[in-house]
Amino acid sequence: METIALATMLLPFIGALLIALSPQRYAKVLCTAFALLATLGMGWLALSYLGSGKTDVTMPLYSFGHTQIFGFVIDRVSTLIGFAVVSLGFLISLYSCGYLTALNREHPHDGSNRYYALLLIFIGAMAGLTLSSTILGQLLFFEITGGCSWGLIGYYQSPKSLRSALKALIVTHIASVGLYLAAAWLFARTGTFELTAIAQLTDADKLVVFGGILFAAWGKSAQLPLHMWLPDAMEAPTPVSAYLHAASMVKVGVYIFARAIMSSDSVPHEIGVVGVVMATITMVYGFLMYLPQKDMKRLLAYSTIAQLSYIFLALSMSTFNSKMAFDAGVAYIFNHAYAKSLFFLVAGALSYACGTRMLPKLRGMLKCTPLLGIGFCVAAMAIAGVPPFNGFFSKFPLFAAGFSLTGEHWWLMPLLIVALIESVASFAWLLMWFGRTVPGEPSPELASAQPVPLSMKLVLLVLIVMSLVSSVIAANWLN
Amino acid sequence: MDTFMLFLILLAIPLLTALVAFTCRWVGASRPVLTAVHTIGSTLLLLMSLYGVWAVYQQGELLAGHNWLHLDSLSSLFLAILGVIGFITGIYSIGYMNHELEEGEVSLKSLGTYYGFFHLFLFTMLLVITSNNLILMWAAIEATTLSSAFLVGLYGQQSSLEAAWKYIIICTVGVAFGLYGTVLVYANAANVMPNPGDAIFWSEVLKHANLLDSSLMHLAFIFILIGFGTKTGLFPMHAWLPDAHSEAPSPTSALLSAVLLNCALLVIIRYAILISAAIGPEFPQRLLLVFGLLSVAVAAFLILVQRDMKRLLAYSSVENMGLIAVALGIGGPLGIFAAMLHTLNHSLGKTLLFCGSGNVLLKYGTRDMNAVKGLLRVAPLSGALLAGGALALGGMPPFNLFLSEFMTVTAGIRGGYLWLVIVLLVLLTIVLAGLVRMIVMSVLGKQPDNVSKGELGWLTTAPLAVLMVLMVLMGTHIPQPVQQLLKQATTIVLNGDQAGIDELHALELPGAATEDSTTAAATSSHSAAQEMYRD
Repeated sequence: METIALATMLLPFIGALLIALSPQRYAKVLCTAFALLATLGMGWLALSYLGSGKTDVTMPLYSFGHTQIFGFVIDRVSTLIGFAVVSLGFLISLYSCGYLTALNREHPHDGSNRYYALLLIFIGAMAGLTLSSTILGQLLFFEITGGCSWGLIGYYQSPKSLRSALKALIVTHIASVGLYLAAAWLFARTGTFELTAIAQLTDADKLVVFGGILFAAWGKSAQLPLHMWLPDAMEAPTPVSAYLHAASMVKVGVYIFARAIMSSDSVPHEIGVVGVVMATITMVYGFLMYLPQKDMKRLLAYSTIAQLSYIFLALSMSTFNSKMAFDAGVAYIFNHAYAKSLFFLVAGALSYACGTRMLPKLRGMLKCTPLLGIGFCVAAMAIAGVPPFNGFFSKFPLFAAGFSLTGEHWWLMPLLIVALIESVASFAWLLMWFGRTVPGEPSPELASAQPVPLSMKLVLLVLIVMSLVSSVIAANWLN
Repeated sequence: MDTFMLFLILLAIPLLTALVAFTCRWVGASRPVLTAVHTIGSTLLLLMSLYGVWAVYQQGELLAGHNWLHLDSLSSLFLAILGVIGFITGIYSIGYMNHELEEGEVSLKSLGTYYGFFHLFLFTMLLVITSNNLILMWAAIEATTLSSAFLVGLYGQQSSLEAAWKYIIICTVGVAFGLYGTVLVYANAANVMPNPGDAIFWSEVLKHANLLDSSLMHLAFIFILIGFGTKTGLFPMHAWLPDAHSEAPSPTSALLSAVLLNCALLVIIRYAILISAAIGPEFPQRLLLVFGLLSVAVAAFLILVQRDMKRLLAYSSVENMGLIAVALGIGGPLGIFAAMLHTLNHSLGKTLLFCGSGNVLLKYGTRDMNAVKGLLRVAPLSGALLAGGALALGGMPPFNLFLSEFMTVTAGIRGGYLWLVIVLLVLLTIVLAGLVRMIVMSVLGKQPDNVSKGELGWLTTAPLAVLMVLMVLMGTHIPQPVQQLLKQATTIVLNGDQAGIDELHALELPGAATEDSTTAAATSSHSAAQEMYRD
C-alpha cells in the first residue's frame, strides 16, 4: 500500500520532469498518460482500503528518532478527496489536449511543455497533500501548489495575467504564514509534526494551531478577508481555472481544516464560532458579487467563493460535535469539485467554440451546441442544489445538521436562515442566466460556433454523469 | 598526511595558482594556457578542501603551525562551501570570461589578472577560515577586501571603479572597528591568562573564557559585530554590498555573496562563541537578533523596488545574512542548526542566481530588468534554471531554503519569539514577491528583437544545472555526511552546553528513513471523540 501511495504521489513529478526534457509534441500525451497512472494509483489505493474493511492506516515514511517528518494517512476522507482531485486532474489534462490548440477561438495557442509539466506537478502535489499525515507535509505541498498556481495563472504571460498570478501567489503565501506558525507551534509543544498530535495539545495551544490552520485555509479557499486573488485568477487558461479554482487548489484550504478537525478530539469553540460567522459573511458577500458579473468565469469565481463558505460552515459546525455536519462538509468538497469543474469546462468549451464567454452574448446554446446546453443546465442545477443532482445531497445534510444544532446553539439559527436565503437566491440567479443563455434563438456568436473536439466532449459527458452520481459515491464511502 | 602538510598544501594551491596566473599574464601566455592553469587550480582546491573536511570528520579538530592554523567542524563547513562554490564558479568563469573575451569586453591581459585575483581571493578567504590567530583572522579579512576589490573593478568602467573604491573605503573603515574588538579581546586575554603568549589564539582563549572581563567583552562584541558585520553585509553597514556585487563580473559576484560574506560571518560566530562563554549568550544573541531582523526588513523592501537584477540579488544577500543572524540570535540547538543549514543553502542558491544573471548579462548586455525580457524564450534552459532558483531563494519547497527557513521559524516558536516569527514570515513573503517580480519582468514576457536565440554553451549552463540538482537534494534528502557535518558545527557553536547538545542529538532531519514504532503507538491511542470522525 505504501508503494502505491508513494507511486501515486511521485509519478506526476517524474512525468513533469520527462515532459520538461522531451519535445513539445509529446507533452500532451505524456501529461495525460501520467495523470491517468496517478488516477489508477489513487483508485487502487481506495480499493485496497475498501478491501481491508475500511481500516485507517498511518504509514510513517520519513521519520527519525521521535520526529515524523512525512507520512501517509489512508482513511475514508483522504481516499475520497484524493481520488477526486487526482481523477479531475486526469480529466482536465485530457480536456486541455483539445482546448489548448490553434483552433481555439479565444486563445489560439498550442499548449507548451511548461503548461503540461506544471499541471502534472500540481496533480502530484495535490495527491501528496491529501495523503499527508503530517502538518509539515501539508505545508510543503501547500507551498508547491501556490508556486504552480502562479505559473499556471500567468501562463499566457499577458501583463494582466502575470499581475493576477503574483496576487494569487502573495495572498496565499501570506495565508501560509498561519500554517507555518501552526506547524512550528505543534512541533514546539509536542515534538512531532504528526497531525494526530493536535489531540494532545492544551486548549490554549489548540487555539493557536487551529487559528493558524483556519487562517491558511481562508487564504487558499478564497474566503474573506483573503478572497481577492480568486476573481482575478480567472485570467488563467480555462482548464486551469476549472482545476485550480474549482477542484483542487481552493479545496486545499477546506481539506487541511477538515483534517485538523478530524485529528483533534475536541476543537475550541471559539474556532467554530469564528468559522461559522466568517463563512456566513463570505457567503453573503459572494452572492452580492454575482449580481454585476457578465463574464461567465468571474461569475463562477464568486460562486466558488460562496460555495466554499458552505463547506466552511459545515466544517465549523462540526466542531460542536456534529458528525453529520462533518460528513456533509467532506461530501460537499467531493460533489462541488465535479459540479464546478463541469461549469468551468462548459465556459471553456464556449470560449473555444464561440470565442467569447460573456454571458449577454450567448443565447440559444441548446440549439447550436446541445451538449454545452445540457452541461450548463446540469452544472447550474447541481450548484444551486436542486435534486437529484449532487449539490442537493451535500446541502441537505448540512442544513439538517445545522438545524439540529440550534437546540444547543440558538445563535446558529439566524445564520442558517441567511444561508438558506442565499441558497435560494443563487438558485434564482443561476436560473435567470440559464433562461437567457440556454434556450431561445441563437445569437450570432453561437450560430457561428465551431464544433468542440472529442476529448472535450468526452470530459464534459463524464462530468455530467458525475454530477448526478457523485453524491451517492460520497455518501456510501463516508458511511 | 601530516596535519601541517595538509594546511600547507591547502593554502599553497590557490596561492601558487594565483602566482602562476600572474606570471602567465606577465609573459603574455595564450588563453588556453591561462584556462588550463585556472582549471587545474580550481579542481585541486576542490579536492583538497574536501580532503580537509574529511580529515576533520575522521580526526576531529586539527591544529598546526604552533597553533596558528586551525580547522574544526565549524570551519570545515565553511571550507566545504568554499571548495564547492569556488570550483563551480571557477568552471562557470571559464565560459563567462571566454565570452567576454570574444566580445572584446576584456583583454587577454585582464583575463590573466582576473584568474590571478580569483585565486588570490580564494587564498585570502581560505586564510580566514583556517586561521586560529585572532589578529591574522582580522588581517585576512582585510586581505579579502584588497584582493576582491580588483575583481570588482575589473571592467575598468567608471561605475565599476567607483564601486571598487566604495567597497575598499567602507570595508576598511568597518573592519577597523573589528580590529578594536580584536585588540580588546586580545589585551584582556593577555592580562588574565596564565600564559599571555597564548592569548592570541582563539582556541586557547576559549579555554580561559571565564576569566575575561565582562564589561570589556560587552564592548568588544559591539565592535566585532559592527566591524565584521560590515563585511557580512548587515544593515546599516551594508552600503558597499549592492554596488560591489552588481559591478563585479558575475562569477565574482557569486563568490562574494556565497563565500566572502560567510567568511566574515564565521569570524562573528567565532567571537560570539568566545564572548558567550565569557558573559553568557543573552547579549550577543540580542544584538544578532536586532541587526539580523533590521537587515531582513530593510533588504526585503529594497528587493521589491530594484530594477537592476544583480542589485536585487545583492539585497537578497543582505536579507539572507540577516536571516542567518536572526537564527543565531534565536539560538538553541535548533536555531544554530538552522543558521548553519541556511548558510550552506544560501550559498548554493545565490551562486545559481548570480551565475544565471551572468547568462542574462551575456545574452542581453544589460542587467536592467526593464530591458531584459523573455529569457525563457531566448535561452529556455537558463531561463528555467533562473526561475527555479529564484523561487527556491524565495523559500519555495521542495528546494533547500524552505527547509532552513522553516527550521528558523520552528526555532523561533520554540524560543518563544512568536511576534518576531510573524514579522519574519511577512518579510519573507515580501522577499518572495520581489523575486517573483524579477522572474516576471525578465524571464517571462516577449523576447526583444535584437537578441539571438540559443544557449551560451554548456560551460555556462552545466554549473547552474548542477547547483539546481544540489538544491533539490538538500531540500528533500540531506545526505548523511552533510547532516553530520552540520551537527558537529552546531555542537561547536553550542560550546559545551550539554543540554543543548543532547537536544541536538534527539533532533533529526529528513535524511535516513527509519521506521518508528512510537508513531504507531501514537496513532493507535486516539480518544473516543476522535473516533467519532472515523468509522
